[in-house]
Amino acid sequence: MKIKFIFLLFIAFYLAIIIRLFFLQVIYSPANKSEYLKTNKLYPVRGKIYDQKNQSLVLNQNSYQMYIEPKKVEDKDKLLQLLSKSLEVEEASISAKLDMSKYWVAISGGLTQEQKDKIDKLNLKGVGFDYLTKRFYPEASLSAHILGFLGKDNQGEDVGYLGLEGFYNRDLRGLPGFVETERDILGRPILIGVQQRVEAEDGRDLILTIDKNVQEISKKRLLEGLDKYQAKKGCVIIADPKTMAILSLVCLPDYDLEKYYLFDENFYKNLAISDLYEPGSVFKPLIVAAALEEKKIKPNDVYNETGQVAVGEYNIKTWNDKYEGKISMTRILEKSSNVGMVYIGEKLGNKKIYDYLEKFGFGQNTGIDLEGEASGYLKPKADWYPIDYATVTFGQGIAVTPIQMIRAFASIINGGYLMKPYIVQKIVSENKITEIKPKVEKRVVSQMTSNIIRKMLVSTVENAEAKWDRPKGFSIGGKTGTAQVPIKGIYDASKTIASFIGFAPADNPKFLTFVVLYEPKTSQWGSETAAPLFFEIAKDLIVYYGISPTR
Amino acid sequence: MKNIFLRTTGLIMTGLIIANLFVVISGIVISDEIDNFEKKTNSLHRFNLTLEKEVANLGSLKFAQEQAKEFGFTNSTAPQYIDQLKYAQR
Repeated sequence: MKIKFIFLLFIAFYLAIIIRLFFLQVIYSPANKSEYLKTNKLYPVRGKIYDQKNQSLVLNQNSYQMYIEPKKVEDKDKLLQLLSKSLEVEEASISAKLDMSKYWVAISGGLTQEQKDKIDKLNLKGVGFDYLTKRFYPEASLSAHILGFLGKDNQGEDVGYLGLEGFYNRDLRGLPGFVETERDILGRPILIGVQQRVEAEDGRDLILTIDKNVQEISKKRLLEGLDKYQAKKGCVIIADPKTMAILSLVCLPDYDLEKYYLFDENFYKNLAISDLYEPGSVFKPLIVAAALEEKKIKPNDVYNETGQVAVGEYNIKTWNDKYEGKISMTRILEKSSNVGMVYIGEKLGNKKIYDYLEKFGFGQNTGIDLEGEASGYLKPKADWYPIDYATVTFGQGIAVTPIQMIRAFASIINGGYLMKPYIVQKIVSENKITEIKPKVEKRVVSQMTSNIIRKMLVSTVENAEAKWDRPKGFSIGGKTGTAQVPIKGIYDASKTIASFIGFAPADNPKFLTFVVLYEPKTSQWGSETAAPLFFEIAKDLIVYYGISPTR
Repeated sequence: MKNIFLRTTGLIMTGLIIANLFVVISGIVISDEIDNFEKKTNSLHRFNLTLEKEVANLGSLKFAQEQAKEFGFTNSTAPQYIDQLKYAQR
């Protein structure tokens, strides 16, 4: 009897277990699965960014979001007091977020490891942290416009905006993976259960053509220049003219990458690639090169500069309304003669002028690997009036971006090759390194023309009307530019964009530097503002690259 | 005969229970180890990021400038020879 009773008891016990398991595994299966089957997204590590010498410009760093579970808090006042001290924020701002009726409240994001450790030591009940990563910039905002920043999209996912973060977002972000494991009540994996893991593929690292030391030189000098010449804003672009690898690109004012959200959107704009302006006299060498290439002029041809030139109802004059009589083509560049340029333009012909503007890539994107590039504007041929062909010879009446300007200029001094500017030279993934090679877009002028124009530009620097504090013993070529700014269709004489584009050493250029200053107040002329700034930068670069004097 | 059957069954059951206990305990121990390794991996990953930050800071221009200032390099190393070649050629 006793045995039967025990047997029945066992049967009832096992039956109860079987019924319970049936309920858990079959009837309530989907709902209960989540309690022991955990699927976690594995976030890839976002790719890092290094300069050409593998010095880090963007890394990832530990970051924590602090939360409070109000139901677990024992002493609210003490908690507020201690957190306020640790986070260095007002008690009221924490208190405002702390809704005691909720189960979970986010308090503060972007905390560093040190801040977290400090709060951990306080041993506060109800306080916890979620682990995140954030971007870290060892050189702060040295390359703000190049790098861009990491923000969120409308799904709350990380997404790169502007610059490299925007352009290479797909490469940098990587691919997420997931892990699905059955866990016991303590969160430990159950070995005989489901174990599935698909690893995340980390983002690719970028190795740039940028040299952070050159970047530092340009930024420091540009900052000094803006201050000295009281300019509103400015840019410096330094490139290797043979490849159009960008060595430095700085525009000021810029913004703090870590706190980008505190800045107005206008600060995000990279003037070097997205701002259209009339280039002024720095444009002249391009037209001269085109005329040389077409054999319409020779450097020593003579032009009789007698006075103003009438084009339709407009009169074109030199910047100081002074005329030297018989001058060579080289002298036209040296004294930046607008009337001389109109003469060269006439020799070249309207059709050829337009053709060369297209050949130099104006009106098209350069294809630089930065997000936010503007294509410039080259109005259709049919809309061109005779005055347009005349003014474009000295860089007025055409809208270009600084990057288009430096690219076109590089083509006339590098042997005639219009190159695609680029900033990333290598994309490094876990098992592959993709090298990005310099790309020739087209041949614009011949080697012979390039050699001649380089000599003319050296002469332009040496015999210019302004005398600069140039590094002695070095041959440097270049051209100044002063463009008036059109405001509501009328040029305001007091507001100019002053620029200088130059290269050194002239025989075999190591660097090509373009300096643009917007609305300088100490002087409106490029020769008195952008040019001296260029020579300061050139001196630093000559020392940095160890270029020997040639004279 | 019956006794032999009962004893054998008992032994087998005891063996199975011991084996089961061993498997369960081993499973728990290994699970614990996996859990610990996961925690250690995460912790190492975070520590790596911290070290990477420190290395980057030590290689930064800001640090170099601070050091140069501290050791008084900033004035004495100004390159004079660019404008005054005679010094460089001596």
